Amino acid sequence: MKAAILIRVGAALAVAVLAAAPAWAHHAFAAEFDIGKPLKLQGVVTEMEWINPHAWIHLDVKGPDGKVTSWMVEGGSPNILLRRGFTKKSLEKGTEVVVEGYQAKNGENRANGANITFKDGKRLFLGGSSPEELPQAAK
Amino acid sequence: MKFLKYGLTLAVLAGLPALAQKAAKSYTPPKTAWGDPDLQGLWPATDMINVPMQRAANMGDRNTLTDAEFAQRVTQAKRTAQSDSQEYANPNQAVGINPPAYWLERGKPSRQASLIVDPPDGRMPATTAAARRLQADLAAKRREDGPASTWEDQSYYDRCISRGVMGSILPVIYNNGNEIMQSPGLVAIRYEMIHETRIIPLDGSPHVGEGVKSYMGDARGHWEGNTLVVETTNLLGGRNGIGLNGGGLPHSDALRLTERFTRTGPDTIQYSATMDDPKTWTEPWTVSFPLRRDPSFQLYEYACHEGNYAMIDMLSGARADEAAAAAKPAK
Repeated sequence: MKAAILIRVGAALAVAVLAAAPAWAHHAFAAEFDIGKPLKLQGVVTEMEWINPHAWIHLDVKGPDGKVTSWMVEGGSPNILLRRGFTKKSLEKGTEVVVEGYQAKNGENRANGANITFKDGKRLFLGGSSPEELPQAAK
Repeated sequence: MKFLKYGLTLAVLAGLPALAQKAAKSYTPPKTAWGDPDLQGLWPATDMINVPMQRAANMGDRNTLTDAEFAQRVTQAKRTAQSDSQEYANPNQAVGINPPAYWLERGKPSRQASLIVDPPDGRMPATTAAARRLQADLAAKRREDGPASTWEDQSYYDRCISRGVMGSILPVIYNNGNEIMQSPGLVAIRYEMIHETRIIPLDGSPHVGEGVKSYMGDARGHWEGNTLVVETTNLLGGRNGIGLNGGGLPHSDALRLTERFTRTGPDTIQYSATMDDPKTWTEPWTVSFPLRRDPSFQLYEYACHEGNYAMIDMLSGARADEAAAAAKPAK
């Protein structure tokens, strides 16, 4: 049931026999969100809910007709976000973000944020791990 | 019994890289005020995320990567880290249905090929005929009524109930915190996700009666030298498996778990667990991996139900799928 997902890592040539395929914990996203309903939402953050493991980013999105609708977008688990450099200031109320993701199958204004960026294309936050921190391969 | 113990020791040692074995022999852990080996602290399993449960068949009995194989893991980790630290999102990147990859915990490259160290080929032993029947029945039920006809189709983990003992400690993509606390005669282990705590008496008292079963079972501990050995019985069968987060083939109520916690250095506990469940597997099998102390790690409150729309979305999503299928004109 739990959809095991292979994490895409750019062009990394994962050697299948050595690479694990960690199951995305907690739920099968494909069961909740509709792959046939891709979204691109540009909106203003109204709240960030820090719930472990279900963080939610709330935003107001203005439609072409000027009508504002409220959306909630699921984020990473707060402990990952914190350990990787996300702070309370990373996503303050009023910040404009762009969310690319998929809408809930039931048609409600809930989405899975598969890509969340600031308006200028900058990533929502930068991870704390840098390549230099990794151990060197044995020579 | 002696033979079994000897076998377990061999199996556990086989899973330890040579350096760790040497360290385990020479390292004497600090003692608590009352004289027990001190295992207290936060020991997340995060580092081992990338080590798979089972070994690739072509590696045979070798559980340590060659330099070249390890170099591949290091290269892969560097690429991941580089991709994680890119300032701008790639505008041409295909957007999948999963959360952004850079929102995942990463782990560290390890020379260990598989978490399973016994059988020596690192593969789960054969299942019994009864276990295969159960597996076939579960698959048939799923085919018949779909993956989300009721909340009962979801795992005990999805339902915020329990991941079981092994599902709670095997490394997964987040919430890998494990905390050990001790007091005279008792050890407590807290797991970050689903925030279960096991309280393990060391007083030599017998297990509770056979009629009492629970998700985390009934645990009793004792010291063998500096190693904490925990035997767990009275587990509920037919629910959680031994896989990540309690996934995989459900174990039976006959499962007897033997876990060993050995400090091999100031910042490392070598953990191993042997699954002895003759109703499910034809022979016992053992996983072994290090837990690394991380004083900066913090166990955050795990609010499984709060803000969790997964069950609603999965069930209503399945109903929406059904309605859409019914609305399609028949061909």
